[in-house]
Amino acid sequence: MSSLQGYVDRRVLLILQDGRAIVGTMAGYDQKSNVVLSDSKERVYSIDEGVEEIPLGLYLVKGDMVVLIGEIDEVLDQAVDLATVRAEPIMPIRY
Amino acid sequence: MLPLSLLNAAQNKPMLVELKNGETFNGHLVNCDNFMNITLREVYQTTADGERFWKLKECYIRGSTIKYLRVPDTLLDAVKDEQNRARDIGRGTRGAHNVGGRGGASSQHPNFTTLRALLSTYRTRTTTTRARGTWRAYAWW
Amino acid sequence: MLIFSVFKTLTDQQVTVELKNDLSITGILKSVDQFLNIRLDNIKVLDEGRHPHMMAVKNCFIRGSVVRYVQLPSEHVDTQLLEDATRREALSQVKR
Repeated sequence: MSSLQGYVDRRVLLILQDGRAIVGTMAGYDQKSNVVLSDSKERVYSIDEGVEEIPLGLYLVKGDMVVLIGEIDEVLDQAVDLATVRAEPIMPIRY
Repeated sequence: MLPLSLLNAAQNKPMLVELKNGETFNGHLVNCDNFMNITLREVYQTTADGERFWKLKECYIRGSTIKYLRVPDTLLDAVKDEQNRARDIGRGTRGAHNVGGRGGASSQHPNFTTLRALLSTYRTRTTTTRARGTWRAYAWW
Repeated sequence: MLIFSVFKTLTDQQVTVELKNDLSITGILKSVDQFLNIRLDNIKVLDEGRHPHMMAVKNCFIRGSVVRYVQLPSEHVDTQLLEDATRREALSQVKR
């Protein structure tokens, strides 16, 4: 999958079909868009509280579960104080 | 680095597997294939709500039902080192036809011996487990 | 395969992709592949106030299987040509 080229070793945001948002360093991927993320953390969004980051470590996510992979601008990302961000969690995929 | 290389390197390592239905399995990886079908031993199975759990001696999980696997952090460096070593060996062989003392048949087919060893453990396991059909079919393949 | 070609002709154009989780993302189409996975550059999420999750993301890969719609720039799609090509492809499949 040539489309994931250029994301390796970059900090990425991965959105899963169940609505989870995981940030991590893309260590590898394959044709089926299975991905390996290192130093990954789940970002848990809620309306009543700021964003909570839960460390997850080394993760292998199946391609079936992938919705979106975005390259994170680290300067932009670090400028945001996650504790002040309130938002609904991302919706799960509905077919 | 390919996801499957990581999974292959995770043999005998502890891992957490979450299925698409939210159930989780904690255990040690016995074996895996290119579909990400896996077998685990000494497993703790937990329901999606986390309310109930079971201990299983062994289990087989079909790859297509898996959401993600969590593996030990140390594995990443292990795989990278292994790949570098394999690359260096590859260069060495191409450079000179003489492979040297360590480059015999066993190092050219590193998977063959492991595979055989694993298959023999299956055969002993099949007689002792309840999931007999699964194990037997698997070993056969 | 035909739609894949259509998308290829639209690279470097602005498109809006609506996902099956109701997120809508606008950006410059950088590439597509056979699965209709999409690479977008310079992205903007619709209603960013409600969806701040991608604030720090400027380009992304979207899995084809989760795309509900893609809004195309109509001035860059020759619908007449597309209709003809569709008929031709349908015909060639019947023959086979």
